[in-house]
Amino acid sequence: MAPADLGNQGTLWTWTIQSFMPKTPYHTDETPETFTPYGVGYVELACGLKVESRLRENTPEQLTIGMPMKMEMITVRKDEEGTDLLTFQFCAAEEQH
Amino acid sequence: MDVAIVGLGMHPFGRTPTMSGLEQGAAAVREALADAGTDFKRMEFAFGGSQDSGNADSLVNLLGLTGLQFTNVANGCATGGSSLNAAYSAIKSGQYDVGLVVGFDKHDRGAFNPQPADWGLDDWYGETGLMLTTQYFGMKIQRYMHDHGISRETLLRVAEKAFRNGSLTPTAWRQTALSWEEIDNAPMVSEPLNKYMFCSPAEGGCALIVCRADIAHEFHPRPVYLKTAVVRSRNYGSFEVFSPAQPPEVADSPTVTASHAAFELAGVGPEDIDVAQLQDTEVGAEIMHMAENGFCDHGEQEQWLADGVTEIGGRLPVNTDGGCLANGEPVGASGLRQVHEICVQLRGDGGARQVPNEPKVGYTHVYGAPGISGVNILAR
Repeated sequence: MAPADLGNQGTLWTWTIQSFMPKTPYHTDETPETFTPYGVGYVELACGLKVESRLRENTPEQLTIGMPMKMEMITVRKDEEGTDLLTFQFCAAEEQH
Repeated sequence: MDVAIVGLGMHPFGRTPTMSGLEQGAAAVREALADAGTDFKRMEFAFGGSQDSGNADSLVNLLGLTGLQFTNVANGCATGGSSLNAAYSAIKSGQYDVGLVVGFDKHDRGAFNPQPADWGLDDWYGETGLMLTTQYFGMKIQRYMHDHGISRETLLRVAEKAFRNGSLTPTAWRQTALSWEEIDNAPMVSEPLNKYMFCSPAEGGCALIVCRADIAHEFHPRPVYLKTAVVRSRNYGSFEVFSPAQPPEVADSPTVTASHAAFELAGVGPEDIDVAQLQDTEVGAEIMHMAENGFCDHGEQEQWLADGVTEIGGRLPVNTDGGCLANGEPVGASGLRQVHEICVQLRGDGGARQVPNEPKVGYTHVYGAPGISGVNILAR
C-alpha cells in the first residue's frame, strides 16, 4: 500500500442538509441557540472515489448534484489549551449564480 | 420439512409508559401462544432479540423456567429477520418441532445517537456531525431522485399512504390519516425528507409460533407457510450508512442479493407476490426498495405511486399496516411486525385494511445498518 494524492477538488455526488443540532457525539463550540445548519454530501474526486464531507453551503438553492467542489479547512472547536481543532469540508468551487 | 407459522402475537407499537420493553415482549408471546392454542411449556426453542431492552432470554422469568433452548439475537434492524431465519433452520433441519420467535424494544424519544467506536469509526466522524442515519437516508434518495426521475410528489404519496393505512390498523402507533398539506408543510429534517417522511424509534413487541408444517393444523386452522427466510450482509461498494468514503463503483445493496436469493429458494418471482412489506425507515426507502426487491424497474415507482399500484386495493399492496412510518420502529420487533402483518393478510383477518381477492403469497423485506437485509416469502 502506498499513499495516493486524491487532490482537493471534485463534483457533488449527493447532498443533504443537517437542519437541527445533532446530539452527542457531535462536539463543537455551538449551542442550540448558535447552531447553524450545515450541508453534508459526498464529493466525487477525479479518481472516482467519493468522500463524505460537511459542506459550507447549507440551503437547497446552493446545492446541485454535479456542481464543482473544492476542499477547505474549518475549525470544529477549541480544545482545553485553546488550540483550534480542524477538519475538512467542501464548498462550491465557483460562484453560484 | 416445511415450516409453518401458527401463532401471531403483538403488543401494540407506540408508547406504553407502564410497561418495560421486556414486558411488552412477554405480552406478545402470550398472545401468540393463545393464538396457536398452546402454552410456553410446549416451546422447544426460542430465538429473540431487543436492541435497548435487555436480554431476550430474560423472558423466561415472565413466561416460565422450562429449560428450553433460548438464543439471543442481536443484528440491528435485521434482528427479527435473523431470529426467524434461525427458527426456520431449526425446524427445517429436523432438530425441533415447534418454537418461538420474539422481538421487543423500548427506545428513548428522538433519533438514535450511535457512537463512532461501535461502528469501527474514529471520534472525529461523530464530533464533526456526520454520525446521523437521517443524513444517509436523505443523501441516498436525493441521488436516486436525480438518477431515476423521482419527484417530491412521489415522496408525499408514500407518506400519505402510510398514515392512511395506519388509520385502518388497530395496533398501529399513528392512527390518524394526514392530509397532503400537513405532510407537505412538515418541518424539514434532512433534505429532501421532512418530519412525516421518517419513522421514529418506538416501543412494542411481536412474537410468532413456528412449527413443522405437518403438525401445523394441531395449532391453527389457517397456517401460513414460511417458504424461505434469507439474510444477507453488504458487498464491497454498496452505498451504506456511516461510510466516510465510497468506492468508485456503486455495488448492489444487500437488499438486491437477499431478494434474488429468496425468490430463487422459494421458486417464485416478484409477479407472484400478492402483498408485500418493504422497509420504510423513510419514504425514500420504500420507493427504492420497490425496485431493489425486483418488483419494478428503477424510476417506474413514479408511475406506480401515481396509479395507486401499492395501495391496499392495488396490484401490489405495500405496507398495508402503515409500515414503519405509521408503526414506529422498535428495532428488535420491527422485522417481525412485517411478518405478522403478512400472516394477518394471508389469513384474511385484515379487517378494514384487508387486501381483496384472498392474497396467497406475501413478501417481507427489512433493511438496516450497517448494510444488512432480510427477506421472507410466505404463502398459505
